[in-house]
Amino acid sequence: MDNLETRLVKLALKGDQRAFAEIVDLYKDRIFHLAYRMLSNRHEAEDVVQETFLRVYRNLDRYDPGQKFSTWIYRIGTNLSIDRLRKRKPTYSLDAEIGDQDGADGYALIPGDNRTPETEYMISETRTTIHEAIDDLPPKYKTVMILRYLQELSLQEISDVLDMPVTTIKTRVHRGREFLRKKLESQNH
Amino acid sequence: MECKQAVSFMHDYLDGDLPSEQARELKSHLDNCFECRAAFRRLEETEMMLFAANRKSEAVSVSDDMTDRIMSFLPQPKKHNPAWNWVRRHPALTAAAAFILIMLGTSINFWNADNQLVVRGSDLERVQVAGNTVIVPEGTTVSGDLTIERGKLEIYGEVEGNVTVIDGSAYQASTARVAGQVKDINQAFDWVWYKLGNIVSEVAYRQ
Repeated sequence: MDNLETRLVKLALKGDQRAFAEIVDLYKDRIFHLAYRMLSNRHEAEDVVQETFLRVYRNLDRYDPGQKFSTWIYRIGTNLSIDRLRKRKPTYSLDAEIGDQDGADGYALIPGDNRTPETEYMISETRTTIHEAIDDLPPKYKTVMILRYLQELSLQEISDVLDMPVTTIKTRVHRGREFLRKKLESQNH
Repeated sequence: MECKQAVSFMHDYLDGDLPSEQARELKSHLDNCFECRAAFRRLEETEMMLFAANRKSEAVSVSDDMTDRIMSFLPQPKKHNPAWNWVRRHPALTAAAAFILIMLGTSINFWNADNQLVVRGSDLERVQVAGNTVIVPEGTTVSGDLTIERGKLEIYGEVEGNVTVIDGSAYQASTARVAGQVKDINQAFDWVWYKLGNIVSEVAYRQ
């Protein structure tokens, strides 16, 4: 499997700094969004991004080209995010929620194409409901839901990233989906 | 089909892995069960919303200077020394090589540790020592073996066992008589063999 990432890894291993910068450019946004959804905190998410790439860099020689590069980097980013989530003091997530609401970071300000303010409001409200509902999930469900719906990984890829059987991932997606369905129904009624 | 089973099928369907036979079963159930049909529609909507809410919705993006920041954070490029790579790939061989090196190192260290004269034997009372010379005087009989390290040996009398001289010299006068062998070891390498030989013969002896 000699795709772009594998070639970049090979170059970076030979000491090509530009090749590594290329890898950073390819993945920094994905890892940031993953960490941001997991932690709901911009600053912490950026820390996770930096730590992820530092680990990737240090362990480049251990990357197995038989494995997808994305799986490998997602695993590192996911584990770092989960670690931070677990280390948090119980009050912390509340602070983060107040300080870093979706509306506050410019979400609702992005104009949609030909959307009236009403539909815009409806969509952004649903979106907020979904994000809040995902936020409320216990980490093991949260991780799976973010990888599935934000990163759009397949169940098999999630199972590779988390190193868990696909059946476990399925169960978590099903439960997460049911949980979200109930949340959305209660919003609409 | 029970409704509970149908819900499980719905999820598999949304995951994109419901086999077509089960999909047909699900469809015929949905045709007949209003509740499940409604539940299925809501689940489908949820699935759509989930993707929609997350897709490209992230107005928050990572800082523009992130790449530069990361690149400046990185430790200096590792020098990938091929020898070091070899070591990493062959831990067992490396350990064995290190063991042999240490063994040789300590042996050689012992060999040239100091210049002190060492005399070993079971009957040293009859032996005279002058400076770094060991003398077996004429007319005396040393019973058992005699070993000299780092010194001169002059034999005028009799030795009833083997004589070994390590890193030194042996002189036998015409009156000398050695019942066993006279061994002269001058090289570190010989010395190692001598030590190994001792170990082997000791082991053999014990058995």
